[in-house]
Amino acid sequence: MKNNKRVRVLTQKLGKLLIYFILVCISFVFLKPIFGIISKTFMSPADVIDPAVEWLPKTFSFNNLKVAAGVLKLGKTLTNSIWFSGLMAICQTVVSALTGYALSRFKFKFKNFWFMMILLAFIIPLPVLMVPRLMMFVSIQEAIGFTLIGTPIPQVAMAVLGQGVYSTVLILIFSNFFNMIPKVLDEAAMIDGAGPAQVFYHVVVRMSLSTILVVFLFSFVWNWNETYVTGTLLRNTIELLPAKLSLFNSEFDSAVSSQGSAFKLNEAYKMAATFISIAPLLLLYGFVQKQFIQGIENTGITGE
Amino acid sequence: MKKKAEKAITVTKSKRRGDAYQRRQNRLGYLFMTPWILGFLVFTLFPFAATIYLSFNNVVSTIKGWEISFVGLDNYVTAFFRNAEFVPALLEFLAMIVPYTFVVIIVSFIIAYLLNKLVKLKGFFRTIYFLPVIIMSGPVMSQILDVNVSEYAEEVSRYDGLFIMNMIESYSRPFANLLGSVLDELSVILWFTGIPIVLFINGLQKINPSLFEAAKIDSANSWQILWKIIVPLIKPIALVSTVFTIAQLGTYDTNPVYGLIQTATGNMSGGLGFAATYAWIYSLIVLLIIGGAFLIFKEKKEKKGGIR
Repeated sequence: MKNNKRVRVLTQKLGKLLIYFILVCISFVFLKPIFGIISKTFMSPADVIDPAVEWLPKTFSFNNLKVAAGVLKLGKTLTNSIWFSGLMAICQTVVSALTGYALSRFKFKFKNFWFMMILLAFIIPLPVLMVPRLMMFVSIQEAIGFTLIGTPIPQVAMAVLGQGVYSTVLILIFSNFFNMIPKVLDEAAMIDGAGPAQVFYHVVVRMSLSTILVVFLFSFVWNWNETYVTGTLLRNTIELLPAKLSLFNSEFDSAVSSQGSAFKLNEAYKMAATFISIAPLLLLYGFVQKQFIQGIENTGITGE
Repeated sequence: MKKKAEKAITVTKSKRRGDAYQRRQNRLGYLFMTPWILGFLVFTLFPFAATIYLSFNNVVSTIKGWEISFVGLDNYVTAFFRNAEFVPALLEFLAMIVPYTFVVIIVSFIIAYLLNKLVKLKGFFRTIYFLPVIIMSGPVMSQILDVNVSEYAEEVSRYDGLFIMNMIESYSRPFANLLGSVLDELSVILWFTGIPIVLFINGLQKINPSLFEAAKIDSANSWQILWKIIVPLIKPIALVSTVFTIAQLGTYDTNPVYGLIQTATGNMSGGLGFAATYAWIYSLIVLLIIGGAFLIFKEKKEKKGGIR
């Protein structure tokens, strides 16, 4: 009897160990590209060419980073990316909060219909919308005689009106969080004579600062990583870091002459550039990873 | 008599009050919804309809504005028969999105299932698995894929020599190629599992534990519990994850169709009609795939009343 029990405990422990082992292996596969990027980034040119060096560089050097930063025009593109993504994120956060509030608090006509439309807006693939959007902005730009294409204005307009990157997810995060705030608080404020805007600002917004931060961060990250809409409407007139990274190959040919084992060196520069463009996001994630994960959990699409 | 009349008055009053309440709800609801609805109509619904219309037209940009002339199915004929790039790109896209989505959903469910069994280090692993969601962007992905390709350029697939791959290959060559390409890009595919994993874990935690106890009392083993309880209950989440994955893969920069659409869009002097046609065919296919996912994960109606 006792022996049997011990065997069972042992197999359970072995099972747990096996799970840990599998998860560690999967983690390695997840992180392998990132490790690859980081190790290549800090290799000296000799290490890059040496086939014996695979992961750990023999001598650390910041040469790759320096070259990549130069080609990326780091100072300029970094600040551009930060303010551009920040601006878009602010617009998206505001409009998602308003829409989420409407969905969570009011029983207006055709609410279900509009909710379905919000979900539909997520499913419709972007390319199908981009041609008419582009034509629309070009027409408007010709009508008012003011350049729109190549400025952030079209994208800001779209973000302000709730059609930015993954707006649907942001709206769902808000509406589910607002559902958790008791309605009694709204009613109490209304009895004390607050109008709807005041209720929204003084009661709801004040209580959901953490959610606002999460939505802002998500929007920031997604706008940072977005290249398709930006490539169509902004067209590199404002140089952004990820867009610059995708142009890196062609830029590089003009910046560095390719000779001999230049191919492998190029690779290292490319990895350094990739590292630079993800480093700000990695830093951000380091600080607020918990909030990010909770944000997705709070979308409530998993059914409450 | 008098009482009845009074009652009638209060009823109409309360009814009117109800109307006022409803009207107020309508007004406030639409007040807060206005920006989104406006944006949806202008930037999503109208462009969607316009793309369908434009796909039957030739669009030329002139000094006077857009010159749109009806050409019927000509753009479609060009897309499918005259342009040698479109159909292969489309097929390549299909060969990417279907197995990728499949692998992403299965793997993320397995990871979530394993994670859910743990007590320690759960948060740590979750942090690692969610990381790619934050840093994933088209350019970064294509840089990483570029390196992958150049490192293993000499072989078709780095799993080519393995005995088991040879066995599969002798059985069915296309399947072996598919498997090889999936294995080659495993890291990259895994990067799409970040959000589905979180959704699955969340769903797994919400399953009522008494269901498991009841099953255990009826001497079900964990394999049976997995298939008879967890999988049916997790289906709606699998659907959400599938839709999300398809949407994410669809906006993935190395997507071959995107490149074509983008070059056609860039050609303002006459390419916009083609761009619209390409985009519309592409979107139709994506929407069909999502529809297929809905069919696969549809809950069977007759069973619905049973367990709950």
